[in-house]
Amino acid sequence: MQTILLIAGQTWKTILRNKASFWLTVLLGITLCVATWIGWQHYQTQQQQRLQYSKAVREKWVSKPDKHPHRMAHYGYLVFRDKHPLSFFDFGIESFSGVSIFLEAHKQNTVNFSEAGFSNGTLRFGEMSVAMVLQLLVPLLIFFLGYNAIAGERESGTLKILLCQGVSWRQLMVGKALGIIAVSFTLFLPVIVLTIVLWAMLSQGQITADAALRLLLLLIAYAAYFAICAGITVLVSAVSRSSKGALTILLGSWIFFLVILPRLTQAAGANIYPAPSKIEFAAAIEEDLHKQGDSHNPDDPHYAGMKAAVLKKYNVKDVKELPFNYGGYVMAEGEKISAGIYADHLRRLTRIYQQQNSFTVAASYINPYLSIRNLSMALTAADFATYASFQEQAEQYRYQLAQRMNRLQMEYIGNNKPAVISHDHWAEMPDFRYRFKTAGSVLQEQGATIMALVCWLGLMTVGLLTASKWARTL
Amino acid sequence: MKRLYQFECILFFRTQAAWWGVLILLLSGAAGLYLGKSFIDKQRSVIQKAAVLQPENTQRNLRYFGNELGLMLYHNKYTLVNQPDPWAAFATGQRDINPVMLTVSMLGLQGQMYDTDLNNPVSLLYGNIDLAFVFVFLFPLVIIAFTYNVLSAEQESGVWRIIHAQADNPQRLIRRKLLVRAVVVLGVALVLLLSAVVYLRLPLDGRLLWVSVLLVSYLLFWFALSCWVISWGRSSGFNLAALVACWVLLNMLAPALVNIWTSWRYPVPEAMETAMRQREGYHEKWDMDKSVTMDKFFAHYPQFRKYPFDSSQDFSWYWYYGMQQMGDDEAAASTKAMREKLQQRQRFSNAAALMLPGIQTTLRLNQVAGTDLQQYLQFQSALQQLHEEVRMYFYPMVFSDGKAAQADWNKFALRYFEAHDQRPDWRQASILLLAIVLWAMAARNFRQTLKQPL
Repeated sequence: MQTILLIAGQTWKTILRNKASFWLTVLLGITLCVATWIGWQHYQTQQQQRLQYSKAVREKWVSKPDKHPHRMAHYGYLVFRDKHPLSFFDFGIESFSGVSIFLEAHKQNTVNFSEAGFSNGTLRFGEMSVAMVLQLLVPLLIFFLGYNAIAGERESGTLKILLCQGVSWRQLMVGKALGIIAVSFTLFLPVIVLTIVLWAMLSQGQITADAALRLLLLLIAYAAYFAICAGITVLVSAVSRSSKGALTILLGSWIFFLVILPRLTQAAGANIYPAPSKIEFAAAIEEDLHKQGDSHNPDDPHYAGMKAAVLKKYNVKDVKELPFNYGGYVMAEGEKISAGIYADHLRRLTRIYQQQNSFTVAASYINPYLSIRNLSMALTAADFATYASFQEQAEQYRYQLAQRMNRLQMEYIGNNKPAVISHDHWAEMPDFRYRFKTAGSVLQEQGATIMALVCWLGLMTVGLLTASKWARTL
Repeated sequence: MKRLYQFECILFFRTQAAWWGVLILLLSGAAGLYLGKSFIDKQRSVIQKAAVLQPENTQRNLRYFGNELGLMLYHNKYTLVNQPDPWAAFATGQRDINPVMLTVSMLGLQGQMYDTDLNNPVSLLYGNIDLAFVFVFLFPLVIIAFTYNVLSAEQESGVWRIIHAQADNPQRLIRRKLLVRAVVVLGVALVLLLSAVVYLRLPLDGRLLWVSVLLVSYLLFWFALSCWVISWGRSSGFNLAALVACWVLLNMLAPALVNIWTSWRYPVPEAMETAMRQREGYHEKWDMDKSVTMDKFFAHYPQFRKYPFDSSQDFSWYWYYGMQQMGDDEAAASTKAMREKLQQRQRFSNAAALMLPGIQTTLRLNQVAGTDLQQYLQFQSALQQLHEEVRMYFYPMVFSDGKAAQADWNKFALRYFEAHDQRPDWRQASILLLAIVLWAMAARNFRQTLKQPL
């Protein structure tokens, strides 16, 4: 154990004593600080904008005068996608998914105004966030700092001496790996502190246990990722013929696994599970609606049957004699049917998207970068699942709004009653509040990704421990 | 002389790296071509479906609502297609993010024109692979792999000492080596470009020439950068690390900074402002006196004053469309502000691109392919025109109690918008300029470095 720590300490010192590595580390440290600052600024402007507009929407809604409730159902509601405080850390799909959605009766709208839609194509190069630096650049730094960990010793002839002096391969490998991990943590620790401080400031001291748990898990996940990268570096260095060869292999795999493969896997998923286009999606819904009956068609059998049943139930001859507004009743029925059909199709569409994304999840078993990327997005609530749940909650809210207005219409409108109702009813409709998933359920959903990370960690440890069997001494 | 180049060529192709590099470029190029084309083909098939669906929908609407023109227009929709250019498969650009087509009814345009297509945001995040990606990201890496040890390998193997002692001008050897590598890379680029011309059916016009110049200057820039780094005469490991660091800086870190800076420095709250104003502008009119709407409406369109407006009616389609118009009119200021903001963003990234060849190449390729933001904004303007045309055609009919049967509905079958910038954009010269500066710096260094035997 002492030998291991000695080697680790020595490795750490040598790396940081090297001028080039030292400055590279410092440079990356500065980049991280810049990323943290920018991420925070970006989060603030975005979140403030959204809060400001959602407040304005609420005020306008409550201040509407007496009206026919169906007018209010069409006036509708504008809701904005909330950003999780931790999203300053990882932008995930934030820039590619829309920000606001207009909710109205009878009609489901798209989530509009994504940052990507305002971009002229440079967004494809990526966005600067703490996660981007930690996921892409820190591994690169680890590769640069550690490629000659073993190969360098071999080239200088010190490897033979070390082994002769009774240091076992196992001690050497684990020690070297620990040393490199320690260097990456020297970089990582200030970021952790900075992140915690920033985030405490962001949430104005109102830190929920859930968010704290998310952050803790995030930090553990990144620590594991760096350990994996360090382990891979030492392993490659031990099998390569020369340190130049080790560097070439490491850089080549960095490019392949971190730049090319993610695009390929996602493209494969999207090609194997083709999603319907918007017009196909709309046409399929339309077709189902026609099967159910068409509330616009005066001769539609479904609605004619419904009318007859209601008349019979209340024992009246005309809808005007009903104790409630029949128009509201028909609309409530129509909304129920159309919302049901829409929800069904949306669920299927989301399922296709999930299948497409499952390629990236599966690929994390051959590519640790994808596992940390997925996990980090999920923990910072900037992933697809969060987006899908926003869509779902917004649609639920839309449905409740429409049905509440239909109920108001049935109760208070027509049949010798006035055509408008008091504006007091508007405030009864609660404001939209997006509910983030709990950290626990995120963990459950990310089981496969976490497993991948654990597998990689295990594989790396086994590799380091069995080094004597395959490592190159000469 | 010719023999020397032949030998150099044979030497080069004896290395594994040479074969791997060429193979990777050809394979990924083929993948880029295939994926780019299949992406655009999918969009084309969607457009074909829309061409069938639109008249069908109009006929159904006529069947249901044909006896009330106002109601018919409330339901009926008109589509403008953002028709992909053949080049779009080469550089798909923003085409996955921006809708392939926009379908709008005669109601307020501002509430409809920002609707998006259905997309998997994760796929958008990872992005497409097209030939532009291969050129911008992968070619530089192969250039680095081919050149980083041109000088250092000779020095490290000890051959350089001998050469230095025997040759009169050792600089020539380096030049030969670099030239062979440049010819190989440019040859692969040419093969890919020619395959693209055939496979994507690219028109043989000025644009092809312009893109060729663009791509060659981009590749030359990377050769120049590589030369500059190896001209310091450092070790292979150092050269490789430095060049990869350059690649990360130029094609990853700096663009990522530019992006986040743009979206933070130029936020677009005007988008949400537009959505709100359009909605208020229209809906609040229900609770106001009809004259509020109609006075403003006639101020906008004095030509419609001649159609008598009966304000005693509780509801009329005349008033209704007047109110809808108010939504657009009152959102006009923030719409303009939004477009201005997007132009500012464009200007900023164009300025940043002068120093970043990767971004410059991407922006210019997207421009030629008609897949950039600028041309999407033009598409939106064209949609606005179509919408106005629909309004101008139907307003008089609605105002004079016309019948749906009188209208020529075929007039508004699927419309197509085609965008691509034919004009040469001289901004791409910045890449060549940077390359020349680097070449000059490299040449100066070489003169110094090559004097010494080590």
